[in-house]
Amino acid sequence: MPVFNVCLKIFRKNWLSVSIYVVIFLAIAILISATSVSDQPTTFAQKKARIAFIAEEQTPLVKGFRKELSRSTMIVALPDQSEKLQDALYFRQVTYILRIPKGFTENVLSGGNMRLEKTVVPNSIENTYVDLNVDQYWNLARLYATHEPGISQDGLVSRLKANLSGTTPVFMKTENAAKTSDSFSMFYFNFLAYTLSAVLIMGISTAMMVFRRRDLRMRHYCSPLKPTNITMQLLAANLLFAGASWAVLVGFCFLLDPKSIATINMLYFLINSLLFTGCIASLSYLISTVLKSLNAVSAVCNLITLGTCFISGVFVPQEFLNSTVLKIASFTPTYWYVQANTKIAKLTHFSWDHLAPSLYSMLIMLAFTGAFIAVALVIGRRQQATN
Amino acid sequence: MIIHVKNLLKRYGDLVALDHLSLDIKEGEIFGLLGPNGSGKSTAINCILSLLRFDKGEIEIFGKKMTPDAYESKRNIGIVMQNVAVFNELTVYENIDYFCGLYVHDKSERKRLVEEAIDFVELGNFKKFHPKKLSGGLLRRLNIACGIAHRPKLIILDEPTVAVDPQSRNKILEGIARLNEQGATIVYTSHYMEEVEQLCSRIAILDKGRVIASGTQEELKAMITLGEKITIEAFSINEHELQQLRELSGVLSVQWVEKRLVIKSGKKAGSLEAVLDFLKTHEIGFGRIYSELPTLNDVFLEITGKQLRD
Ligand SMILES: Nc1ncnc2c1ncn2[C@@H]1O[C@H](COP(=O)(O)OP(=O)(O)OP(=O)(O)O)[C@@H](O)[C@H]1O
Ligand SMILES: [Mg+2]
Repeated sequence: MPVFNVCLKIFRKNWLSVSIYVVIFLAIAILISATSVSDQPTTFAQKKARIAFIAEEQTPLVKGFRKELSRSTMIVALPDQSEKLQDALYFRQVTYILRIPKGFTENVLSGGNMRLEKTVVPNSIENTYVDLNVDQYWNLARLYATHEPGISQDGLVSRLKANLSGTTPVFMKTENAAKTSDSFSMFYFNFLAYTLSAVLIMGISTAMMVFRRRDLRMRHYCSPLKPTNITMQLLAANLLFAGASWAVLVGFCFLLDPKSIATINMLYFLINSLLFTGCIASLSYLISTVLKSLNAVSAVCNLITLGTCFISGVFVPQEFLNSTVLKIASFTPTYWYVQANTKIAKLTHFSWDHLAPSLYSMLIMLAFTGAFIAVALVIGRRQQATN
Repeated sequence: MIIHVKNLLKRYGDLVALDHLSLDIKEGEIFGLLGPNGSGKSTAINCILSLLRFDKGEIEIFGKKMTPDAYESKRNIGIVMQNVAVFNELTVYENIDYFCGLYVHDKSERKRLVEEAIDFVELGNFKKFHPKKLSGGLLRRLNIACGIAHRPKLIILDEPTVAVDPQSRNKILEGIARLNEQGATIVYTSHYMEEVEQLCSRIAILDKGRVIASGTQEELKAMITLGEKITIEAFSINEHELQQLRELSGVLSVQWVEKRLVIKSGKKAGSLEAVLDFLKTHEIGFGRIYSELPTLNDVFLEITGKQLRD
């Protein structure tokens, strides 16, 4: 396989010119991964409010209340001096000052006035939770007191404790897989379109350009190798190069975000990007049959990669693009690749019905691949015939 | 016959590049295809190798019709193209190994053949060089090595020594003669008659796509009337005396340019003596004297009326 081997050698030689794209890509990917994969948990946790708790009476019920409140808030110890309290509020040491007036417990138990004195920082979300907690506790206390007349305050406290123990857990009603929706993986695989296009078009076209040099082509025709044999060896080398580029670039994704391997979405991301790799590889081969000079290759490479990536939503999400632009973009495989990625990212169920739209996009990409190969073969035949 | 070409006609649009060209090249000879630029040498070679389509004629190599898919024949042909065809991305060694590898699959045998080819063109010190770093002459030598490394039975070289210095050129010519001694048939095209004269056992002279003469050197030189070319440094001579010189027997032509008498004489004429006698009796002073036998250039000149090299 002399042609295959030399073709690989040429790929290795050209690696440097291609690696610039990889370096840029990695730099951006690392930057994004550092900012976007923060540890913001998707389960809900309530932010604790800082409050000042001033009690003018120390009944068992008030003590129980204080204890209960301390589970959901930060109680900051402050002296009962209005100036100090105002300052604490002003400097946001606390956002809520709660005062239990004398005789409050008695009022509650006897069905009287349940007004508490509170001073708050306005528009503070945490305070809402404090209000909720306060209302809940005292309402329950009154409830138990009316339904079990004669119950002692200590008895009430233990009832309330049992009732209120454990915050009712609040879950975001989504499943784990959906986490990818606007996650690093989707970003990574979308942006991969740019780097893969650049690397493949540059790499493959430059190498093929060498073999298309007239002198070398003539020399090959003198050899006992059949032209189809040579073409096959070149194709094999190109596929190997494309596969290796894909593996390397995808590999970085696993390095940057190891958790992503475990999701089923990743499997489809991989399939989609592999199909895209095949598609761009055949496009690169086609480009090399048409273009004559290396300068033309790098110009066309930049035009195609940047152009299609811009209009297909690699850099700017498709939602933000104007519909005419998207219509034009739909004539490029990159558009369908990004489409498939976006759909895959949103998948939470992997039944046929859910998968169908992304598979449809992939199918269109396959059609592009077929078309590119067919045109390249026709042009190749033409060129051979005109010799 | 190793190569048999009959009535080959090749047109480029209106231009007739090969005009009913016929050639027969026998096993074991070094066949020279001599012709000025544009006479159709490369076109002929490319047609013979089925690299170009032609309009009419028949071509056989090794007794079989030559076609683009005559891979068995191609296996036994070595070709050194006029345009250097090597990979700039590969080193000297890798290039030779690659082209040899198109014919020879066995690795150890190929290693031996490549080393031999490198010795042959004396590129031993440049094995790791890339073609871009080679001088024009060295590059030509690499081109040759790539063509002959697989030890073909038939070697076709299309102007392989363009831009090669005289010393290396001689080495290459000697090497080609050695390949021939080892059994290869050689087809050598050139517009340097000295090379062809030195190397080739049979020659075809090409002009405007036609073979205007062919045969061994002796046969070619016998075809023309010129037997000897005499050049004499003469300091003064008048028109009358020149006329008398022209009338001497055996003298074909006399010219006096830049104080040199150039006298062409026919075969077996013994004109030199007569000329010298004439100069003495007329007391014409003269200096150095050269006498040359006809060259292929003279053959070309006499047949076409123009110099082989412009
Ligand atoms: N591809 C082509 N298209 C048109 N005309 C061509 C083409 N190739 C060669 N010719 C013409 O055919 C004639 C023969 O060219 P060819 O290259 O065979 O000459 P040559 O003897 O090899 O010359 P040189 O010594 O310069 O290599 C020339 O007049 C040339 O202009
Ligand atoms: Mg030529």
